[in-house]
Amino acid sequence: MSGNALHIEDLFKRYPTGVEALRGVSLEIKPGELFALLGPNGAGKSTLIHCTTGLAQPTGGRIQVFGHDAIGGDYSEARQAVGLAPQELNLDWFLTVEETLDYHAGYFGMPKRERRERTEELLEVFSLTDKRKERTRTLSGGMKRRAILARAMMHRPRLLILDEPTAGVDVELRLELWHYVQRINQEGTTILLTTHYIEEAEQLCDRIAFINEGEVVAEGTSGELASRFGVANLEDAYLALVGRKELSRSHIEVVT
Amino acid sequence: MSATARIRLFTLWRREVNRFMKIKKQTIGAPLLETFLYISVFGAALGTRIDELHGIDYVVFVIPGLIMMAWSINAFSNNSSSILQQKFQGAIQDQLSSPASPLELLLAFSLGGFMRGLVVAALTFTAASFLVDLPVDHVLVLIPALFLVGFFFSQLGVLIGVRAEQFDDVAFAQTFILTPLIFLGGVFYSASLLPEPYETLTHFNPIYYMINLVRYGFLGYTEASIALSLLALTAATAALFALNLRLFSRGYRLRA
Repeated sequence: MSGNALHIEDLFKRYPTGVEALRGVSLEIKPGELFALLGPNGAGKSTLIHCTTGLAQPTGGRIQVFGHDAIGGDYSEARQAVGLAPQELNLDWFLTVEETLDYHAGYFGMPKRERRERTEELLEVFSLTDKRKERTRTLSGGMKRRAILARAMMHRPRLLILDEPTAGVDVELRLELWHYVQRINQEGTTILLTTHYIEEAEQLCDRIAFINEGEVVAEGTSGELASRFGVANLEDAYLALVGRKELSRSHIEVVT
Repeated sequence: MSATARIRLFTLWRREVNRFMKIKKQTIGAPLLETFLYISVFGAALGTRIDELHGIDYVVFVIPGLIMMAWSINAFSNNSSSILQQKFQGAIQDQLSSPASPLELLLAFSLGGFMRGLVVAALTFTAASFLVDLPVDHVLVLIPALFLVGFFFSQLGVLIGVRAEQFDDVAFAQTFILTPLIFLGGVFYSASLLPEPYETLTHFNPIYYMINLVRYGFLGYTEASIALSLLALTAATAALFALNLRLFSRGYRLRA
């Protein structure tokens, strides 16, 4: 049994369409880490997350969450430990913001009183208190993103998975989220973050993995990855990975 | 069942009930109005000409079938629509990534429609009892028969909802398969009055036996063996439940 927060071993996922989204991915995230997964669109980031949370069924390999087998008989314990804020704004249109949070915690077996207290706390944290009675369908994009983040945290997951949480959000929410993520990470929550914003990964995360075409191609700290690719920084390492070195900011002339 | 599992199951079910209660004009009001239009047209208008069927007032003869129809169509359409809508929005991911087992998910989705059917059928029965003298001759047949009918159509709704990829698929099943089978199963007439081959053909319609069971429970009149009908309905419901449980366990069209 692995002592890691997330242990992924030789994970394969082939969709019925024949697309091979994951090709032997192995990954270890230690308890308390803030880990980023970077890669271009279609690299396999969301598929990896879906396999971990039971939304997709791997065709091979193993996943353990805090030692619980996420694919086999232990899936219930494994899912109990995970909170997922997906990339899509997948809120239930029939529910209000408050109900969304309450129901989610109920799906995770949280008793009523605890649900009520936790709902109050997260409505406050994500500035949703005055929207609590509104149906999610009527919320703006930013508010929907806040509700999704609050929902993922409702059951106090030990491993929080944030799939592109800051895509399309304003600066205010991005910074609020960064602060909150750092705070709960310091309090002990392990975090797996996927993002397209290199500086987000660089500033927040202890370790970073590059994933491309269904394979983890490099892993380490920001500095380690830069030196692995023989470049100055993480962004250039990423550009080297996707074969677009010519886009490096070092080639942009600064207008004065 | 553990306390956590109880909270999970109750919350999953509560979400289903909450959904149809939020749109009760459509989910409760409309079916009630529809049933009363049938009673008015077939009972009050045509009934004055038809008078009696097998020694029973025509309007009274029709009402058990209408109650069964209300329960079955509402159980079916609730579950098929709810599941498809949630798949369409992606909101179902919240339940699917929770620790809930396939059995808990199936029971919750099934019992939502069962509950809506029960509410509409109970209101129809209560209102019909004010309009006509509706006997309940064999309560020990009526209650299991209605519960089995409700559960059978709940399961059928779940099956169609899981299989459906677009709203047209649900509408097709309801309009082109279910409604004709119910109408031709003898809600509004006695199959024994039909000319051949239609009388014999009716015996191949499973709904015919359900209507007979419910009519026997209320009026004590049947055209088919009660024991055999109950046995067949129990077997069909169990088979459908087993099929759905297998589909949920395999994640068929729910998990990628």
